[in-house]
Amino acid sequence: MAVLFAGLWSQAGWAAPTPTFTVGWSVYAGWNPYYYMARSGILKRWADKYGVIIKVQRFDYAASLDAFVAKNIDACTMTNMEALDMPAAAGVDSTAIILGDYSNGNDAVLVRNSLKLSDLPGKPVLLVQKTVSEYLLERAMDLNGLSGQLSRLKLLNTSDSDIVGAFLGNKGNQVAVTWKPLVSEILAQDPSVKKVFDSSQIPGEILDLLVVRSEVLQRSDGSGARFAKAVTGAWYETVAQLTGSGAVASAAISGSAAASNDSVDSYKEQLKTTHLFTSPQLAAQFASSPDLKQKMELVRQFCFRHALLGQNILSVDDVAIAYPDGGVQGKKDRVRLRIDASYSQMAAQGKL
Amino acid sequence: MTIKKPFRPGDLIDIQVRPVRLWTQSLSWLLFLAGIVLYAQFSISRHRENPEDRVVPSLNQLVQGVKASVLEPAEEDDPIDSNAALFERLRHSMLWKDTVASARRFFIALALLLPAVLLGLHMAVFPYADAVFLRFVLFLDKIIALSLLPILFIVFGIEEWSKIMLMVIGVAPTLILDTCNISRSVPREQIVKAFTLKSTNADVAYRVILKQVMPQIINSVRLNLKPLALFLFAGEMIASTDGLAYRIAIMRRHMGMDIILPYLLWVALLLFVLDSLLRFANRRLHPWFQPL
Repeated sequence: MAVLFAGLWSQAGWAAPTPTFTVGWSVYAGWNPYYYMARSGILKRWADKYGVIIKVQRFDYAASLDAFVAKNIDACTMTNMEALDMPAAAGVDSTAIILGDYSNGNDAVLVRNSLKLSDLPGKPVLLVQKTVSEYLLERAMDLNGLSGQLSRLKLLNTSDSDIVGAFLGNKGNQVAVTWKPLVSEILAQDPSVKKVFDSSQIPGEILDLLVVRSEVLQRSDGSGARFAKAVTGAWYETVAQLTGSGAVASAAISGSAAASNDSVDSYKEQLKTTHLFTSPQLAAQFASSPDLKQKMELVRQFCFRHALLGQNILSVDDVAIAYPDGGVQGKKDRVRLRIDASYSQMAAQGKL
Repeated sequence: MTIKKPFRPGDLIDIQVRPVRLWTQSLSWLLFLAGIVLYAQFSISRHRENPEDRVVPSLNQLVQGVKASVLEPAEEDDPIDSNAALFERLRHSMLWKDTVASARRFFIALALLLPAVLLGLHMAVFPYADAVFLRFVLFLDKIIALSLLPILFIVFGIEEWSKIMLMVIGVAPTLILDTCNISRSVPREQIVKAFTLKSTNADVAYRVILKQVMPQIINSVRLNLKPLALFLFAGEMIASTDGLAYRIAIMRRHMGMDIILPYLLWVALLLFVLDSLLRFANRRLHPWFQPL
């Protein structure tokens, strides 16, 4: 009897559910590798090592952010700007554990008739408002001494699903701001369109992150931290494959291209303008550098200026950002976004 | 004098029961109340967990949102002096600006639907019009207007006309066919009789048929207000610089539910008022018409 009971007991212990985590991602050159990471079994290996189950789910970008803020998923890919103005500004304490890449030319200002930036005021500009596109446009004007003209820009909010057709179909639309692969599509179809500014002129300002809810990381059973370690380990293994050489690299590239139904050539072209942090050392270094603070300062001021932090937020310091060195931008008691380099450092030191 | 009987549970499934007016009035608010209570419950529980939650804004956040949209100008406009008269502030507010922009598109589209009504009537009355148009309109009616949007952008440009044409193309075929059917239902005997009384063709078309189907056509327009608004929203969300749906699309990008929810209610109110106006006009203009 006692044996039977003990047997049942151990069985019950054995069947205790393995903690499960969901990562949401959306189509973008720097995030497609998550798809390959899950399909190729790399993620499964790391998840098994840390005793967790990790699901990877594709979303539309906006929907992925909604799901993250609504706490339906545990981690999500997003840019530094959206990390600040969606989850952080909505009071969801968030931690960026992976700095995957920065846009190094993926986002661009396109014009017809060889217009210059100084010609833009007064002309309708097609873009998705309140996104990195608008940020890029403002930075372009700023860097060219045209910040006084910002209020004269005529922005036309255009959905990304229609922007290519709307811009190419009508020669009257002279300016568009968008991202790859849409940029490549437009440039390929109309050789008279020129790029006047792109994100390679503001390196490191449009960052692509993997963000986890801080409460998940701090789970008392430690499963959240194990999940973060597993994802980080898997990510850097994937990136190493992607930037390596030989058959392994081409499998990783075609696997990632498949994530967005891109051809291998088109995906390679997108990767060229995506500055991947190819090793955990580089990512940790950038995360800990004073450079990042300067760039985030620009981004958070932009978000505040455009009321992206919410109607009720009266000071930019109300949505504070904490950095790996312990420094805080904004009010110390209102930290909502944390840049965490510790997982990358562990990866760099081979401790994962 | 009616004898008030106490309420019995069996009354709920009694067809011939005559409930007291006070009762029916209060019962009609029951679901509204339930909706508000559910919302409040949900909002409070979410705010307990995260005081800055923006997904289900609290009453306080909603009031702030309403204030901002009714008294403050849109972010892309110049700020207005906070000491200005209330009327001035309302006139420059975000909500007013968006309402005017959307209403303009809406009414231009509505005006462009008048010829559609006439076409429907002519198809019902004149066999040659019927022969030319009916098959084509039946075909057009089955085209999903939204899928035409990329083409509309190219033909009409990305600004006002593509949105207005989307609404017109989306709603006109239904309205034409409906008018045609309604006009056909006028008994043949009446038409013959009118001719024997020396009516001309125009008399029969406009003074016999149009006149008596008018209330039904207005009802048909009332039913089509919502598809019209739907197409307006689709157009504004895809490419726009102002309008009610533009604001909702922009606010969605950073979860400005405190603005989105008041906007939704405002749009519902506007549609309700417009619908009521048409219903009222119908009753006034056609007192003889008794809907079945």
